[in-house]
Amino acid sequence: MTCSDVERVLPELLDGAPDGAFAADFETHVRSCPACADLVSDLKLIASEARQLAGTEEPAPRVWVRIAAELRAEGLIHDQDLEPESAPARPILVPASSRRRRWSAWWLAPVAAALLAAGSYVVSHSPAPQVAKQQAAPVPATSPAVDTSAASSPSAPLQSSPEPAKKSGKPRDPAWGTTVASAVEPGPSAEDQQFLSAVSTLAPSMRVTYENELQAVNADIRETQAYVNRNPGDEDARQHLMDAYQQKALLYQIALDRIQ
Amino acid sequence: MTDQNQRITEAAAIEQAKQGYEAAFEVLYHLHKRRVYSLCLRMVSNPAQAEDLAQEAFLQLFRKISTFRGESAFSTWLHRMTVNVVLMQLRKKGLPVVSLEETLEADDEAPRKEFGTKDLKLTGSIDRLQLQRAIDKLPPGYRKVFVLHDVEGFEHNEIAEIVGCSIGNSKSQLHKARLKLRDYLKFMRAEKAKTG
Repeated sequence: MTCSDVERVLPELLDGAPDGAFAADFETHVRSCPACADLVSDLKLIASEARQLAGTEEPAPRVWVRIAAELRAEGLIHDQDLEPESAPARPILVPASSRRRRWSAWWLAPVAAALLAAGSYVVSHSPAPQVAKQQAAPVPATSPAVDTSAASSPSAPLQSSPEPAKKSGKPRDPAWGTTVASAVEPGPSAEDQQFLSAVSTLAPSMRVTYENELQAVNADIRETQAYVNRNPGDEDARQHLMDAYQQKALLYQIALDRIQ
Repeated sequence: MTDQNQRITEAAAIEQAKQGYEAAFEVLYHLHKRRVYSLCLRMVSNPAQAEDLAQEAFLQLFRKISTFRGESAFSTWLHRMTVNVVLMQLRKKGLPVVSLEETLEADDEAPRKEFGTKDLKLTGSIDRLQLQRAIDKLPPGYRKVFVLHDVEGFEHNEIAEIVGCSIGNSKSQLHKARLKLRDYLKFMRAEKAKTG
C-alpha cells in the first residue's frame, strides 16, 4: 500500500471496519510511514476533539422567553402549579411568600451587576495574568488567581504531552498546552456558595440544576480567560469571555427575578 | 444516580408537559437547550439565526409532545427534529447550503499541504476556540457533514438520509472536511507562532 492508497481509503478506514486484509495493509503502511501516521493521528484527534463541542453553547435567556410566549399564545401551556408529588425538578424558583425569605436574595442584584462590570473591565483591558488576577478578584469562582489549573473543566483540550514553553520572554504568556484535562474542578467561590445556599433555602429542588449551570458557566469563563491570557489580542476571544460573564450575571438575575 | 434522576425528571416533565404545565416545558427546555442551540450554531455559524432555529425546533417539539410515546429517547427525537428544522430553514431562506454534489465539483481538489510540511502533526492538542473558528471557515457542505458526524454523532447512513446523499458521499465529505480543518488549524498555529 502506498501513501496515495492510504489517502484514498482513509474515508472508509477511519470510521468503519473494512475487511481484514485491507486493514492489515493499511496498518502496516502507517506503522512504517511517519507522514501517514501523523495524518491518521491528526484526523482522529480532530474527530475526537470535535465531539467535545456538542452541547457547549448556551442560548440567551430570551430564547425561552419567546418560546413560552408563543406556547402561551397558542394555548398549549397554562400556569397552574404542578402536582408536588409528580413535579419534576423545576429550573424556576417558587416565589418566596414571606418577607423573611424575600430579603435574603437582595444581594444577588449587585453581584449580578458586579459580574457584568468585572467582565467588561477584564475584556476591555486586555488582561495580563497578573492584571487579570487582581481585577478578577471580585468575580466569584472565575478568577484565574484562585484557579491553579487553568482548564480544569471536562471540556479542556486534550493533551498527550505539553509543547515546550514559548520563548517569548513575556511573563504573561504561559506555555502552550499546559492545561491539564484531568485536574480537579476548583470549588465554588464564596459568592457562588452564598447563591447556592439561597437557592437551597428557597427552592431546594432547584439546587442541583443551578449548581450544574454555575459549574458550566464557570468552566467556560476559566477556559476562555486562559485563552485570552495567552492571546490578548484576540478580539473574538475577549468578546466570548464577555459573553460568558454576561451568562453568569444572567443566571444570577434569573434567580433574582424568580425570587422577588 | 444523577443520570437516573435526570431520566425520571425528564419522564415526569414529559407527562406534565402533555398536560400543559409551563414548568414542565421549561424543565425540558433547560435539559436540552445547549445541545439544540449548539447544533444550530455549528450549522449556521450565526448566533442570531441559531437562536431562531433553536426556538423553532423547541416549538415544533412542544407542539407535538402529545404524540411522544417513549419508544425512543426523547433526546434522539429532539435531536432529529432540530436537524430537520435547520435544514428546512436553510433551504427555505436560500442560505448558502451547497449541495454535496456541488461541493464535490467546486472543491474537489486535494487539500494543499503548504503548512506543516516538516511539522505535520498537530502535536496532540487542539484549542477548542480555534477548532470552532476552523469549523466556521469550512464550506457549507463540508461543515454540515462534519457537524452532523463528528460533533453531533450521527452515523453516515443517518446523514445520508437526512441530507439526501449517498453514504459514500457522506464519508467523502467528512474526510475532506477533516483534511481542511487540519490545514486551517496548522495555518492558525503557524500564524500564532509568527506573531509570537
